[in-house]
Amino acid sequence: MINTIIKRIQKRFYRWVEARLPAAPEIQLKQKNIYILPTRYGWLMLLIIVLILIAATNYQNNMGYMAGFVLLSIGSLSTFYTYRNLRQLKIKMIKPKAVYAGESATLEIEVINQTQQYRASVGIGETKVKMSLLDVPQQSSSQFTKTFLVTKRGWFEVPRMVISSVFPFGIFQVWSWFKTPYQILVYPKPIPAPINLSDSNHGNEEGSNSVKGSEDFYSVKEYQPGDPLKQVMWKAYARGRGMLSKEFEDKVGQQKIFSWQSVAHYEKELALSYLCHELIEANKKGIDFGLEMPDQKFDLANGDKHLYDCLTALAIF
Amino acid sequence: MLIFVQALVLFPLWFEIPTWVTASTIALMFFKFLSYRLQIKLPAWIVLIFVFSALAGVYFHFRTISGRDAGVSLICLMYGFKLLESKSYRDAALTLFISFFIMVMAFLFNKSIVMGLYLLLAMIAILSGLVALNSIHGFQGLKHLSKISGVALLQALPIMLVLFFLFPRLPGPLWAMPDSSQGGTGISDSMSPGDIGSLTTFDDPAFRVKFESTVPSANDMYWRGMVFSDYDGYTWREGVRSPTRTANIPNFTSRYQYKVQMEPNQSRWLFGLEQLATSPNGTFLFNDFTWRRPRKITTQFSYSAEAVTYDYQGVELSAVHRNVNLQLPATGNERTRQWAQQLFTQSSSTQDFIQRTLNVINQQEYSYTLTPEVLEEEVVDGFWFDTQEGFCEHYAGAFVFIMRAAGVPARVVTGYQGGEYNPYGDFYLIRQSDAHAWTEVWVDNQGWVRVDPTAAIDPSRVEADLRTRATRRDSWFSDKEFGFDLPQGFLQKLQLRWDAIKSFWDDSLMGYGQDQQNNWLSKLGIKSNQWRFLGYGLVFTLIVSGLVFGLWLLRKSSKRDPIEKYYELLKAKLMKQEVIISSHWGPKAILELLQQEHPELHKKYSTPIKFYIAIRYKKVSDKDNLQQRFKTQVKAL
Repeated sequence: MINTIIKRIQKRFYRWVEARLPAAPEIQLKQKNIYILPTRYGWLMLLIIVLILIAATNYQNNMGYMAGFVLLSIGSLSTFYTYRNLRQLKIKMIKPKAVYAGESATLEIEVINQTQQYRASVGIGETKVKMSLLDVPQQSSSQFTKTFLVTKRGWFEVPRMVISSVFPFGIFQVWSWFKTPYQILVYPKPIPAPINLSDSNHGNEEGSNSVKGSEDFYSVKEYQPGDPLKQVMWKAYARGRGMLSKEFEDKVGQQKIFSWQSVAHYEKELALSYLCHELIEANKKGIDFGLEMPDQKFDLANGDKHLYDCLTALAIF
Repeated sequence: MLIFVQALVLFPLWFEIPTWVTASTIALMFFKFLSYRLQIKLPAWIVLIFVFSALAGVYFHFRTISGRDAGVSLICLMYGFKLLESKSYRDAALTLFISFFIMVMAFLFNKSIVMGLYLLLAMIAILSGLVALNSIHGFQGLKHLSKISGVALLQALPIMLVLFFLFPRLPGPLWAMPDSSQGGTGISDSMSPGDIGSLTTFDDPAFRVKFESTVPSANDMYWRGMVFSDYDGYTWREGVRSPTRTANIPNFTSRYQYKVQMEPNQSRWLFGLEQLATSPNGTFLFNDFTWRRPRKITTQFSYSAEAVTYDYQGVELSAVHRNVNLQLPATGNERTRQWAQQLFTQSSSTQDFIQRTLNVINQQEYSYTLTPEVLEEEVVDGFWFDTQEGFCEHYAGAFVFIMRAAGVPARVVTGYQGGEYNPYGDFYLIRQSDAHAWTEVWVDNQGWVRVDPTAAIDPSRVEADLRTRATRRDSWFSDKEFGFDLPQGFLQKLQLRWDAIKSFWDDSLMGYGQDQQNNWLSKLGIKSNQWRFLGYGLVFTLIVSGLVFGLWLLRKSSKRDPIEKYYELLKAKLMKQEVIISSHWGPKAILELLQQEHPELHKKYSTPIKFYIAIRYKKVSDKDNLQQRFKTQVKAL
């Protein structure tokens, strides 16, 4: 009974918090968005201070008073110490990449410290209890990566995050909530179709103007998951330039149109997964492909951009 | 680290708690260390058995588990056990915060300045432990850790002082404390032969005195403590006595103003320079002119007082008082009684009788020794006629006996005599070894006259300054130990200086109480509503110091890098040239933009921007030089 009431209050509170949250790619932490409260050890310390002062009064012990007041001063000063640890930090969120369902999505957050002061043990996480701690030295930045396991296709909404610190004494905790303006796009999980979907393949009939082929390479681009491995410039990779893919102007090859109709008799998610797999495969082979969904139609084309457009359509279907 | 903190915190307590408790806490720490090293874990039920046996041990040792000593022992043990089972953040934090409390417990036993410094050190250790606990680097960088906590402590000290002086004090304890199990050394509430003599070996300070203006001679410094008028043939005790009424006090004139700072003596009487009149705050003047407090003095305690001279002209001794001060056991010491009556009949007056008695002490073979022959029966006879040796209590007791036997009202007074002057602190230190007993005799129209029979035999004891008596102390510090000749009195000077510091510590800090608080508030002109004033003062200073501190700390943290400032300046200059720069662009993006769209500006601006990139993102050996060049270039734009 009481639990449910507390839960409801909590829910409303967080709704209120969330409504106030800025959703910008870069947030500056300042007085307006930093909160502070004693930790439970802070309350314990207060209790101990009260005990010490009572004992000091009773035994007329001035040394006890002194110790009690020193602790009290340190306790109150640590509001500043702790607050100072978060103040004027900048949180910069990097646009997350799309993932397939069942994979883990990574959210990269950069914490930038432009001030002259070392920030120790800054934590970022979903709740104030579970978080990863990092130091942010003066005039530099630190990278937090937070991974989420995503199971459902569509837009994955990154939960409200919190940046927090209890440094140095753990008496007070300062924190600030923030939210990424980005959502993570989750494609369906690719599953090989049990049947050949290319019976909806109109391409073969028209596919006469066979090709100059994939030899006609015209540009280089950064490797993206789904790129055919044989197009990776392995030589460049060996030289340490990263994964680069050759892009080919290949107008030709087979042509495949995948349609919702061909898989509509499967369960919806499964059907989308099949389509997803086939699209990726088609792209790997470097053939022209198209997609026909009930509400959207993609003409024959190729290349990664085309693939991702199609996958996006599947993801949000 | 935790073990280290614990050892540091418990160390001062080890000397106060029973040996077996000390031993077990050390054993627990040692065991924790071992189990940490060897990675073994004790089953919970064994720990539980240990805990219960410790509990039982404390109970059987003290027959209680409450009270100061038992409580402290118990907490020490439990604290040790807590460490044994601590693994997680929670346990460690708990142990560290409890350490603060344990640390304060040590103050119950010892309040010296050394202890204060030691505990400052312990506090830094605890705070460092907390910092380490909350830092991702743990216990690495011990210097860094102690710097953080040291700075915090330094910043906390001024606030502490304000709170300390403004925090309202109560006159007494909140609840009655069980008697401390150890008695203080000092003059006791009765006097038997040998009582005071036994004190002469104690060099502990009894109290310190600061005179306002005029200072009496050392001869005149009789610090009155108690008056004994009841004699049972062996022991002198306090007689019938009660708080006096103002109407019963004879007229008096003030002589000396002074301030006393008392060490706790676990008793209720205060000492004052004779004669005593108006009593300090919270103290009662009794009709034998002694001061009494309603509670035992268990902590350091300061009071202001004055010495007066009474005018006994025309004052009669009441019948009750006459009887009380003539009381003697019905029988015993017959030789002395007869001798006294005989001498009295030969004397012309009471004064003459007193003088004749003192002459006997002075001229006959009465000697002054700390180790007189011990007498069990007919104590006065044996001393007066046979052994003729004793300490001040022998003389005072016998003298009063003689007076009373002759029908002259007399009584024994105990307290301290003399004092050692400390030039560095401008105060007199009275030690336990200055304990003394003397007498008072009622002389018509002169009232109670002080007679010190001991002075009759051994004037040096009263007249000589303390140094002559200190030969004993000097021999402890023989020059031979140092292997060279020290200037005479070097150690004594050092000791006096140290005592002056201690006196400041004890007087101004440890002795600070309600009286002192009242005093300075009254000096400021705040006589009523003092608590309200203190409250306002506290709130005010807290808010102001909080604001000042906060601003200062935060200002420091937001101080920006000069390079960044110049970079902003550069960007501002570009903006003036109507280049549109988005706030989130990095220097490289700006460089590209200039190259593409403002080639004329690119020439001028590319070097400083490249410098900036180098300063920020590249490892350069000669950074200072680069920074300097960057600054001048930006300025030149």
